[in-house]
Amino acid sequence: MERKKIRKSDLGLWLDRIAEEYELIGPTEEEGVIGFEPVDTSAALKLDYTNSLIPPKSLFFPPAESLFSFRKRGREIELEETKPMERDRVVFGIRNCDVSSLSLLDAVFGEDLEDAYYLERRARTALIALACPTPPRSSCFCTTFDIDPLSPEGSDILLTDVGDVYLVDVTTERGEGLVALSGDLFSPLSADEAQELQPPPVQMRKLDVSELRERIEALWEDEYWEKLSLPCLGCGICTYVCPTCHCFDMVDVGSTSDGARYRCWDSCMYSDFALMASGENPRATKAERVRNRYFHKFSTFPSRYGTGYACVGCARCLVHCPAGTEITQVIEDILAKEEVSE
Amino acid sequence: MQERLHEIVRKLLAEGAIEYFIGYGQGFEPHDVAPCFVAQEDEVEKLVWGPLCAHNLSKYALRAKELDGKVGLLVKGCDARAIVELVKQHQIERDEIVVVGVPCQGQVDLRKLEEVLGLPLEVVKGVEDVGDDFLVTVGEEKRKVPKEQVLRDKCFYCKHPNSFEYDFTLGDVMPFSIDADKGEFALVEELEQLSLEERRAFWQKQFARCIRCNACREVCYACYCKECIFDSLAPRWIEKPPLLGENEIYHLIRALHLAGRCIDCGECERVCPMNIPLGLLFKKVQKDIAELFDYEAGMDLDQVPPLIDFKLDDQDPFM
Repeated sequence: MERKKIRKSDLGLWLDRIAEEYELIGPTEEEGVIGFEPVDTSAALKLDYTNSLIPPKSLFFPPAESLFSFRKRGREIELEETKPMERDRVVFGIRNCDVSSLSLLDAVFGEDLEDAYYLERRARTALIALACPTPPRSSCFCTTFDIDPLSPEGSDILLTDVGDVYLVDVTTERGEGLVALSGDLFSPLSADEAQELQPPPVQMRKLDVSELRERIEALWEDEYWEKLSLPCLGCGICTYVCPTCHCFDMVDVGSTSDGARYRCWDSCMYSDFALMASGENPRATKAERVRNRYFHKFSTFPSRYGTGYACVGCARCLVHCPAGTEITQVIEDILAKEEVSE
Repeated sequence: MQERLHEIVRKLLAEGAIEYFIGYGQGFEPHDVAPCFVAQEDEVEKLVWGPLCAHNLSKYALRAKELDGKVGLLVKGCDARAIVELVKQHQIERDEIVVVGVPCQGQVDLRKLEEVLGLPLEVVKGVEDVGDDFLVTVGEEKRKVPKEQVLRDKCFYCKHPNSFEYDFTLGDVMPFSIDADKGEFALVEELEQLSLEERRAFWQKQFARCIRCNACREVCYACYCKECIFDSLAPRWIEKPPLLGENEIYHLIRALHLAGRCIDCGECERVCPMNIPLGLLFKKVQKDIAELFDYEAGMDLDQVPPLIDFKLDDQDPFM
């Protein structure tokens, strides 16, 4: 579809119109933390942000969700399924690193076994992506994984800030429907504007990761993991702020006669993550757990799902790790390793 | 001071007195400082010291247990209270670690600095301590920021600008002349003025954000239990999903387990990705312990912690 534009001052009108028809979700700020939350009005959105702390994967794969509730009545057991969502949703302001992460999660929750909860949320949620500000955060490195922060791929609509207006690229029918809600706010670009109104190119560091998988697979026994894990505290921040991490646990909350089955996020950095009922722990040491996380991103995931690496270069883990572990440094270290040292 | 630090660590490593030294190193961004493990003499130059070295490295003293040799640690006066407590709580032997004490004139609270500058932290290229101010390099420009605007809360009522439990020290400093204007427990007292319902609403709003990443637990010097109550499967004291009720219990259990042991290092609040004011919760615990038992954790190796003490003439007014 042809590129359009919308005046910045009109964005709120459009989003408010969307909020009448859909559940509108976008970037908000609470106590200094940016997150994607449902809002009643566009006035509650925070447009001046680089990205959220918790990635928007949480909108499709929530930190805690009840799958069904159960109640025992005499000898009968009543089961009640929890509906994943009520209204169709529109997510405004998602960045392209996170859009890419959803296509990776689609492989996890959509192949072999289809996860009805995740897939329903995906099917009933439109994405209005917002191209990244220029310059991006100094920690960003999404281009390393061939993600273009200005691309409309993967979303329904991409907005690009070019001063007084947003450029509007609509890529799906669903996107066209959203634009049509306030069709009069959008106008085509004149020939001159199409030439002039271009976002500045995004400059960011880009690592050559073409050999990363081979390199890391050669390092299973390397002493590097021990060294890397020394400062690691074993908290779950890196996994919970990661847009591609997707491990979960299933627990029954309540009593045996009245409760609900929950799915909640779990973290491979926790010492009890792989602990078995027998007491055996296949990843008993921190070094093994740290190694596992990077192996999963750069070897296990691509080999299991036939995708690219399970990292989208958002750098959230790097920014928020309390022990200062930098994933880009890890990648560089792996690539620089000449041979295995034991 | 940094040179003196390098000199001491180089000597310790050369003599084989320690297996490795844990200090501060440069992080990813210029304003970032990260724990830095140094095992080789030629890595010693990586160690830095300055007003961005907020981390309490004493937690890493527990690593000494896993090693044949000793661990060296860079420890601020405030953080040394954790060393005192770890020894008192029989988690480390004092001679398993080598403590290099570093005098400190206050640490920057990065969240406050970001607020004061009104700019993202990535523009901060460096922070120097110049007495009652910090000199903050923003891009090419140097800005003077008064300490009272950006100091960590606990630095306002600092009791140990100089080291008091150490094997080596990098010297002494004069305490800075900032009038905190409020008492140590001022923020807690403000909260105590609220009604029970208001306080509950305040904390529920905070705990609702908790994602249970466990960073507050893992960074805490005193969380060394082999099996944490939160990880116990039988009995299961707390459910894993980060639901409000479970989160409340999580933080209240932590607060009570730390009573009489919390040394006010503020690490839980500093590492919390969700900006939950955990320091305030633990300040309340410290206040109660101070009022009930006239006790402050980590101040003195010989003082018996009140909650493991027993006195025949205890009045037990609540019994």
